[in-house]
Amino acid sequence: MKVVQAQLQSILPMHLRSLLPAENIESLTEIRLRLSYPMQLIYLNKTAEVGKPVSLDDLNFCVNTASRYSPWNAASMKQGYLTAPGGHRIGVCGETAGEGIRSLTSVCIRVAKDLQGISDQMPIRDSILIIGPPGSGKTTLLRDYIRRISAKCKSSVCVVDERCEIFPFSCGSPCFNPGKQTDILSGCSKERGINHVIRSMGPAWVALDEITDAKDCDAMVQALWCGVKVIATAHASSVNDLLLRPVYQPIVNSKVFSTVAVMHPDKSYHLERISR
Amino acid sequence: MTLKWIGAILIVTGCGGFGFSMASAYRAEERALEALCRALEYMSCELSCRMTPLPQLCRNASGLLTGKIKTVFLLLAQELEQQVAPDAVSCMRAVQASVNLPDSVQDVLTQLGNSLGSFDLSGQLRGIESCLKNAQSKLRYLSDHRQNRLRSYQTLGLCAGAALAILFL
Repeated sequence: MKVVQAQLQSILPMHLRSLLPAENIESLTEIRLRLSYPMQLIYLNKTAEVGKPVSLDDLNFCVNTASRYSPWNAASMKQGYLTAPGGHRIGVCGETAGEGIRSLTSVCIRVAKDLQGISDQMPIRDSILIIGPPGSGKTTLLRDYIRRISAKCKSSVCVVDERCEIFPFSCGSPCFNPGKQTDILSGCSKERGINHVIRSMGPAWVALDEITDAKDCDAMVQALWCGVKVIATAHASSVNDLLLRPVYQPIVNSKVFSTVAVMHPDKSYHLERISR
Repeated sequence: MTLKWIGAILIVTGCGGFGFSMASAYRAEERALEALCRALEYMSCELSCRMTPLPQLCRNASGLLTGKIKTVFLLLAQELEQQVAPDAVSCMRAVQASVNLPDSVQDVLTQLGNSLGSFDLSGQLRGIESCLKNAQSKLRYLSDHRQNRLRSYQTLGLCAGAALAILFL
């Protein structure tokens, strides 16, 4: 947890670093910085406001340090987020200009977590889809599930990590243990990544985070037709929501996912069969 | 009388040495600009190919260099890795303040600092290219005037020493 604290402190402006307490850091889920308001620390069961009101310089500092002073390293800023070292996702809001953001007004740092053993209830048989609302712990569950497959099945798992969040790297080594049978392709689009790993790595499983695009769904269905099992996460609060959302129709219609893990706001989950 | 001659020799040697040191500083400036050009060319290629993050890019560049420019890039990499400065310009300013460099090199480094970490990839590459052009034009000027300047510094040093020695004698 000291590592997480150090990673988060390195993103924050100097005057806010000391305000990030070491205690309860394991239950910290988000840090929110809003222009002219104090920093908000959001824990699992409480919210705290600390320090002086945040300035524009503070917000710019966060984005600069999170991207390691390399805007080209944060191409995802056009989509409103970037991934900081340690896999923490930095969401940004502000005045947009063209494809970028001219002036920031809010920064949301979502703390990446590595909880081991949380996927023990999930069977390792077929492709599985993890659904839930934002912040419900889909990526954390996916991370542990990948590691479990890698350890128990001895089969190769390829992770297409578009946002460098599932298994982020720091100085050439992974921040979280991915398992010895896991190959990670990060920073490329899911569509391109799925084709890449199937062609070049011969995986038994392909794992991806946050299916948000019809192209991703199509690529996933292609992978399933190639005899590869897929583990993926998607935004939907229930199976009914999943069935209703047009973007997920290719995967729903292909009937490749018979089981769905539905996340709850309290980070727990239950398994459900898709019947249509 | 012997003391006078020893004094005269010391004066000539001192002034000559000053002239030679000026010439040596001229050559050092040229070498620093050459190293800076190499670093900028490397940064441009590395960024186009791998989009390497700035701290690692500076560290890699320092590995290819020698002398004060190596120190500049190494310190810049350390400054960026510490993540205590609000932006890359501040990091470059801190480094420039800690390393003694000729004005022409400082000028290019200031220009580089102002362009680092502020733009997307194509903007960054243009910024580096502009710095490279600036460094190359300064280097060309130094190369074109090298012979005359070096000869002048050395000759003036020796002559000034000789003149002073004659006056004192």
